[in-house]
Amino acid sequence: MKDYRFIGKATTRKDALDIVTGKTKFINDLSFPNMLYAKVLRSPFPHALIKSIDTAKAMKLPGVKAVLTYKDIPDWMGGLPRHVRVLDSKVRYVGDAVALVAAETEEIGEEALRLIIVEYEPLPAVYDVEEAMQPEAPQLYEQFPGNVLPRGIRVFGPNPLQEVVIGDIDQGIAEADFIVEGTYSYENIPNPLPPESPGAIAVWEGEDTLTVWSASQGPHILKVALQKMMGSSNVRSMGSPVGGSYGSKYMSWQYVFPAAALAKATRRPVKICYGRAEQLAAFTVRLGSRIHGKVGMKMDGSVTFLEGDWFVNTGAFSEMAQGMVAVGCGEAQLMLKCANWNLKPKVVCTNRTASGQVRGFGGQELKCALVPILTLGMEKANIDPVDFFKKNYVKPGEGYYWRDGEWWVSKGIDFTNAIEEGARVFGWQEKWQGWLKPSSVEGTKRRGVGVGVHGNADVGEDVSEAFVRLDPDGKAIIYSGLAEHGTGQRSNICKMVAEILQIPLEWVSVTAADSSINPFEFGPVGSRGTYAIGSAVIEAAEKAKKQLFDLMAPKFKVTPEELETVNGMVYVKGKDEEKLPWIAGLGYHGTCLGRGRFQPDFTLPNFMMIFTEVEVDTETGKVDLIKVVSATDVGQIIDPPSLINQLNGCLGSAGIDSALFEETVLDTRLGRIMNPNMIDYKWRTFAELPEMEHAILETPFPSHRFHAIGVGEIAPSPGPSAVLMAVANAIGVRIYDYPLTPDKILSALGKMDTLKKGGRG
Amino acid sequence: MKAFAHINACSVGEVIQLLAKYQGKAKLNAGGTDLLGVLKDRILPDYPELIINIKTITQLNSIEENDEGLRIGALTPLINIIASPLVEKTYSILKEAAVTVASPQIRNMATMGGNLCQDTRCWYYRYPDEIGGMIKCFRKGGKTCPAVTGENRYHAIMEARKCFAVCPSDMAVVLTVLGATLTIAGGGGTRDISVEEFFTPMGNVLVPDEMITMINIPKPSPVASQNFLKFTLRKPIDFAIVSAASLITIDRGICTDARVILGAVAWKPIRVSEAEGFLRGKELTEEVIAEGARLALVGAKPLSKNAYKVDIAKTLVKRAVAGC
Amino acid sequence: MGEINRSPYESTITLTVNGDTHLFRLGEGCHEVSPSHTLAFTLRERLGLTGTKISCDRGACGCCTVMMDGKAVLSCMLLTVECEEKVISTIEGLGDPITGSIDPIQQSFIDHTAFQCGFCTPGIIMSTKALLTENPSPTRGEVQEALAGNFCRCNSHYHVLDAVMAVTRKGG
Repeated sequence: MKDYRFIGKATTRKDALDIVTGKTKFINDLSFPNMLYAKVLRSPFPHALIKSIDTAKAMKLPGVKAVLTYKDIPDWMGGLPRHVRVLDSKVRYVGDAVALVAAETEEIGEEALRLIIVEYEPLPAVYDVEEAMQPEAPQLYEQFPGNVLPRGIRVFGPNPLQEVVIGDIDQGIAEADFIVEGTYSYENIPNPLPPESPGAIAVWEGEDTLTVWSASQGPHILKVALQKMMGSSNVRSMGSPVGGSYGSKYMSWQYVFPAAALAKATRRPVKICYGRAEQLAAFTVRLGSRIHGKVGMKMDGSVTFLEGDWFVNTGAFSEMAQGMVAVGCGEAQLMLKCANWNLKPKVVCTNRTASGQVRGFGGQELKCALVPILTLGMEKANIDPVDFFKKNYVKPGEGYYWRDGEWWVSKGIDFTNAIEEGARVFGWQEKWQGWLKPSSVEGTKRRGVGVGVHGNADVGEDVSEAFVRLDPDGKAIIYSGLAEHGTGQRSNICKMVAEILQIPLEWVSVTAADSSINPFEFGPVGSRGTYAIGSAVIEAAEKAKKQLFDLMAPKFKVTPEELETVNGMVYVKGKDEEKLPWIAGLGYHGTCLGRGRFQPDFTLPNFMMIFTEVEVDTETGKVDLIKVVSATDVGQIIDPPSLINQLNGCLGSAGIDSALFEETVLDTRLGRIMNPNMIDYKWRTFAELPEMEHAILETPFPSHRFHAIGVGEIAPSPGPSAVLMAVANAIGVRIYDYPLTPDKILSALGKMDTLKKGGRG
Repeated sequence: MKAFAHINACSVGEVIQLLAKYQGKAKLNAGGTDLLGVLKDRILPDYPELIINIKTITQLNSIEENDEGLRIGALTPLINIIASPLVEKTYSILKEAAVTVASPQIRNMATMGGNLCQDTRCWYYRYPDEIGGMIKCFRKGGKTCPAVTGENRYHAIMEARKCFAVCPSDMAVVLTVLGATLTIAGGGGTRDISVEEFFTPMGNVLVPDEMITMINIPKPSPVASQNFLKFTLRKPIDFAIVSAASLITIDRGICTDARVILGAVAWKPIRVSEAEGFLRGKELTEEVIAEGARLALVGAKPLSKNAYKVDIAKTLVKRAVAGC
Repeated sequence: MGEINRSPYESTITLTVNGDTHLFRLGEGCHEVSPSHTLAFTLRERLGLTGTKISCDRGACGCCTVMMDGKAVLSCMLLTVECEEKVISTIEGLGDPITGSIDPIQQSFIDHTAFQCGFCTPGIIMSTKALLTENPSPTRGEVQEALAGNFCRCNSHYHVLDAVMAVTRKGG
């Protein structure tokens, strides 16, 4: 392996000092002169028509500058397809926006909301995904009969993947040694729960120029999306450091629109920052996922067919559900070698807060329900799940339909070594006792182990552009629309440029994520930061360096290819006694600018396997997570601590812990989310950390000059199904949904005669 | 938070006068860790006009021991209970319970009196006004308790009739097992009441012009073993799903005295007298303890989604009595 | 016995933060401190000390942790009017104001990349500071207990523990 100066070495995050001294300005830390605060009146009904709204009293409250209702809101539309108005005459979940207020202070805004008089006509509501599809079910949108969202949306090109239909199911049935069937669901709609709630500040100049500061994970794509959704407005999007997102704050129109509408109405800057209850009860959560599935298998663990109905509950609207389904369908094929498929998703809307993008992006939701069905077959064939995944995970030369509906063939690497190394680090051989068998029993405590797998081919999704500018003093500036959301990606692209230009890391900086100065950037999603964003930056740096050498070559009377540069000095390779500074080529008043552009490439799947060990107290039903090992192969580590941090992230952001205790509790009589606070919504604390280890291999990928790919996004995704498996093995009984709270464990163990056993509750 | 007037109180007398003057429209603020949440979420139909800071009454921040037992001022923060050598030596169960409360920061702020007077955590009662309006449940003068046929996993399994919320206080459970009393100051003078009698189905016995000033804990038998167990999904932050406290005296292999209290199962800490009676005079074998635990939960009437609390309660009684 | 008819509006409050003293008029005006303002609000919106973060605003996440009289407390659950005569320090007050050097805890967080998004970091550092002030050489378990009230959603816990333990070994 090549020994780099920066790549692969632990270096200080560029933003570290600001973070630890509290100087980092997150969105709610910004303010503008004359700024107003936005507040949202939220619906008490899960489904209702607004018969009348009287805002007169609210408008009269001193300090109130605007009150907007569906009657006077701009006709901007979000969602997939466009179906979500900023305010509508119909509300579709408890917490849906009814009216907007802009006021001098937050307190005044809150009081104004209480003065708005609304008369509703309540409508029946529906929450269950299959009930919503029944003919007599309440209809959320006229244009979506049966509450089923349309397919064929041009989300990823003209022909996005909306199902997996391959081969011939009858053939698969004929070839099978046996068939298993089951229903599993991952419908606890865990919340990504970023510590910083969604927030934005909107400022208009004139009638059609809008500047938005936001906590968006993708500030540049936000500009593109807003311009499309708002018509002709000229939008400038300013990214700020993101206080956690985990996907949820990528598409930010839901909270930018209210600020923009109020700013337009008042001609003053308007800030909106959701409170925690709003984030938990009226912002996007994970998709609900339920599968009735059937799998044909041979005794050697090969799968002859997979057939199933995948019910995807997207709540009150689809923010990106069909896109997540497309990626989930692709990811299922990466996990499972199978010639005959008939996996049919249905994206359905219901009367609860909407689902949106979350780390795991459809694939995690699918796997949490699909992998357990596969385990029914593994149990029957008595196959070790590690062997099963090793056999079935996509290998170089094997293909899959990806999100664009096209057939792609893996040009990546074989992950067998990563799987074996993970198993070794975890001690799988010693702990695995067979299906539904504990690895150890001590008194009332039973331990069990489980394993899960995930991967995507999105490390090379979408377009990234970057410029790299070289300054005469040896410094380099990266022009990128990348906002820092915790992965250290802004620092990592600096490392790449420093490595290429061989200058100290301190000499490389990145522009603010300002869409008016930077080229296109899709954003750090889908683990695409290392490969896609990195490739654009690398190309830009290499081109800038070439320009520099073109300028300098005549001075040395050599060709540009013969030159080298280190620490801002240029010399002929092998002859470093004679050096010239960059300024000798650029002059005092010159710079050179390289441009890089990454085009989508879906040929390099990444990979993550998670091994878990749990301990179940059979008298209380409590499940404790004892040990976690994740196994992956990243090609080349860019920054070791950042990578480890990302892998440790498998617990929260609605990852492993969504199998243990994380859930959004919905009262389906009232349509209300009962735990919109951080006491009743459970999250893991410092006091209860499992033993955590990682097996990270570095087999070079054919990606870019550093042969690396990203894995951050997928770190949590194999976790929940691994825990479900581990608990089943610990207690010897299967449980069919998440999370594995004491009531379910005790019920499965037959301890509670007063309650019905098993199934979904 | 909506505005209110505020006063830093200098004395108990001043507080009582203010409470009497405001007739229910003034609220006491001790640690603030419960009250401020109630005010921010606007969960109650009425909003206070005045907040009275009582932390400024410094003489109520005290831990003293005399021949009869321990006297703890109502404004003593939980961290002082945890750090007190007096508590550690003779009343260790107080510390055992105090360290399970919430988080280090909260324990630095929250007081003993506040822990006893905190409002219930029932999530219908606590539903924030900003997301479609607060819920007017039975406890707030509404007609029904929405938990009965709703999301009741954390609700009462015993003794509930109209409101199924549970008493969230951990300190109440251990104070009950220790047989503690509370000194209450009010317009009509001072009265003492046992912790057992302090709670009512809708809260507690305090009338609008009263406050707790002292907590009086009789000295437990030096040979009695003290145990407190709290079942939660997470060790920090969480309120008890079920808790159990025991005071068990064993003399030459025989249980001569047993006090067992269950927490978070009802509107007050529940003393399981039948189980206590059964345990007394017996050798505490596994079978005897199991039968005691069964008897402790005989009266349980779980709701649709909280029968698991009965199992957990039995287990905690068993473990608390066995001292493991 | 205090006189009960005094008007709560006619007064001022003196707040001592990071060694600086600030005098505010109490009231509902736009530059005044209202009795209903939390300490977190006053620090952020009146003093511009935005290093103290508000996340849950209900005392459950620890992002707003500051030190008051040497103890870690939640500034979202404290009324500003109740903080007179208290010694308050925030993330901005760590380190040496004369030399401008940062606190060893902060340096250790940098060295261990003990954060990801960094939003919860100030609160975590303030809880750590309170712990090490009282107990300069805690065990890893004691650090975990001391930070049990601090949310971290990116799961930087392991690096945080490494960072804190590295400071304690140096004698904090």
